[in-house]
Amino acid sequence: MSSSTSGRDEDAPDLVCQIDCVHGMVDALSSARWKRHQDAVMELSSHGIVVTVEESGCLQAKVFLKSELFVEYEYTAEGRPRFGLSLGLLIDCLNTFSAPGHASSVEIRYPGPDMQLLLKSVGSPDACMYAEIRTRIPDTLPWDYHFEHAGNTPVTFTVKSAVLKESIDDLEWPGSSIQIQMQPDPPSVILKGEGHGDLQIEFPYYANTDLVIAFQCDREVSYRYKYKFLRATTSNIPSSVIKENRGTKVQIGRGGILKVQHLVSVARPGMQYYRNTAGGAQQPSRIAYIEFFVKPEEDDINNG
Amino acid sequence: MELSMSGGALRTFARCVTCLARVGSEVALQAHPAKLELHTLNSSRSAYASVSLARDFFDQYHLPASGHAASAPPSTPLQCSVLLKSVLAVLRTPPAALDRLAVSLPDPDAPKLQFILHCLNGVRKTYWIACSAESEVQTLALDRSRFPSHLVVRPRDLTRLLSNFQSSLQELTIIATDPAAGLPDAGGDVGGKAVELRSYNDPAKDDCDTRLHTQLWIDPAEEFMEYVHTGDPVDVTFGVKELKAFLTFCEACEVDIHLFFEKAGEPVLLVPRFALDDGSSSDFDATLLLSTMLVSQLIDSNVAQQPATSAQLAEEPRTGATPSPVPENVSNHTKIWSELSGIPSCGTGHHCSTPKSFEANREIQAQERNASASVLNHTSMLPRVINAPCKPPVADNANNTKVISANPRSQHHPSNWVGADDNDDDNEVDEELLVQTTPHYMD
Repeated sequence: MSSSTSGRDEDAPDLVCQIDCVHGMVDALSSARWKRHQDAVMELSSHGIVVTVEESGCLQAKVFLKSELFVEYEYTAEGRPRFGLSLGLLIDCLNTFSAPGHASSVEIRYPGPDMQLLLKSVGSPDACMYAEIRTRIPDTLPWDYHFEHAGNTPVTFTVKSAVLKESIDDLEWPGSSIQIQMQPDPPSVILKGEGHGDLQIEFPYYANTDLVIAFQCDREVSYRYKYKFLRATTSNIPSSVIKENRGTKVQIGRGGILKVQHLVSVARPGMQYYRNTAGGAQQPSRIAYIEFFVKPEEDDINNG
Repeated sequence: MELSMSGGALRTFARCVTCLARVGSEVALQAHPAKLELHTLNSSRSAYASVSLARDFFDQYHLPASGHAASAPPSTPLQCSVLLKSVLAVLRTPPAALDRLAVSLPDPDAPKLQFILHCLNGVRKTYWIACSAESEVQTLALDRSRFPSHLVVRPRDLTRLLSNFQSSLQELTIIATDPAAGLPDAGGDVGGKAVELRSYNDPAKDDCDTRLHTQLWIDPAEEFMEYVHTGDPVDVTFGVKELKAFLTFCEACEVDIHLFFEKAGEPVLLVPRFALDDGSSSDFDATLLLSTMLVSQLIDSNVAQQPATSAQLAEEPRTGATPSPVPENVSNHTKIWSELSGIPSCGTGHHCSTPKSFEANREIQAQERNASASVLNHTSMLPRVINAPCKPPVADNANNTKVISANPRSQHHPSNWVGADDNDDDNEVDEELLVQTTPHYMD
């Protein structure tokens, strides 16, 4: 089907954008994929695209693909269109567009004639791949976690993503409930799991300057979280995060809500399909932000 | 008990635990003043593995003060028993990422054993593993000097020898003969191959007849670093799984394997052989004790044993008639008979041991058996073999020679044997098959 051209305003698509590194977008979206099939809500705005995934009302992931990541980003809608689609389907579909060694530029357009999401490969003179993904009106709006800091100073630490991932993997052994505790003196983060065996993992702030990059905590804070939700926050972060030695920022907010933020590179300089954006004078950072929110288990409310 | 280790000791400790975990499911720790011992026993009680770590192995090694010796006899060491699976979970963090590992048991009745891993990146992981309630510590100690025979082999050599067997092999038989009692014939290959490795297939299992059978004759002078066995041939059959675990352990620690044995039914003992002079000793040691099958694979009954011996003696004067076993262009080291190989032409005047080797060759030729094979009645066959020691084999029947394939070792119907004329011509040199595989012990 032919793509509509922006002749008249009513027919102009809300968004036409082009990304030159599909693989990076797949990496960023895959971080939020802890199950094979997940319903996601995609929201478009002039700032970029946000994909939100939820589970059981206790876990939420948001993938922010800001407009600067795209080679082109034309946004003409009023308001913020929002629609539901399958995250797994979107990722698998984008994957078909990315072939190693080829310039994998993809144009994303919304909406199609029937409110679909349209994908088209561009840049290749020989062939064109085309895909459309059906969208739906989301049943429920994503829960807004209203993350707020409890108290005056935020309770937060930043640790190497690789270390956090390894620690959470190790915590699979003890059991199903993990306690995260932060204490100001000595400044450290303690993750504890108990079950048929007990495991406690500590990140001391003063141990090694590379381990805990940032730490802020003025009182002892301790909450418990279900292991499977905690695991979802790190299990699928792409290997580029490990290789690039990135850090993950963890915050505990009011009510014990845990916020985990990762940075995922979308572009890889040096890869042959990387092209400098012709537009801007400076190269914007090609980073996507992934945020996870995890609700604490209710039986361990601490006055944090 | 508090102890701490790092560096190479930590890597060795991880290897010890991995080896023990492949043998049994629970490990008993015993802390003696001079050493720490870890023991495990497998579920079928056929394999016992033990590791001993001297005090020097650790950076720190503290036991409760023996000032309490009055109340607690010093002979009872501090002990506890934990699941090996849990210890493996502790050691998931690779030793290369660790600065040191500390283990502590606050008191003898403590319910949990504590492991603290200090990682190089600053993370500190503390594990508490529940101790098993009933800690039945098995300590088996065998005096090495009670074993009359032993061999020393390099792990990579043993790996290479075992690679000739199917990877799913469960039990292995080692047949050891006296190298000095071999055929005193002229030629470079005195005694031929004094040791045989043979796959053991449980006849009780249904698919026994369709399994791959492998026999490997080796010259211990070439394959082993040391080999001591005198007297009658003996065989020992034991499990391969634990052997392979010990093999991996020795290979990683870069030590040779010392295997002590006696005879069928008596256990075999494996220890690492450190390349040190007798004066100094390593700061760790390991032991693997494997029980062996009571039934010898060599001879089925004592009755057969007598005639065999006499037959052997009777045959010796005629060894001169044996053709030179090994042509020069054939490898002296190892003969692998796991492939179909050609049948020798059995001429006249052959030494009667030739038919034996012929039988041995024929036995291993048919690799895939038909399920319909029935178990031979060996004792009934034996007399025929014994009584007609020098009869050349009745060969080249269309239906395979039933008589001479009455190899008492064989449990398979002779009709399954590939006939003499069925084999390809382009197999190994004919004469090679006249090699004395092992000195005739089954006559």
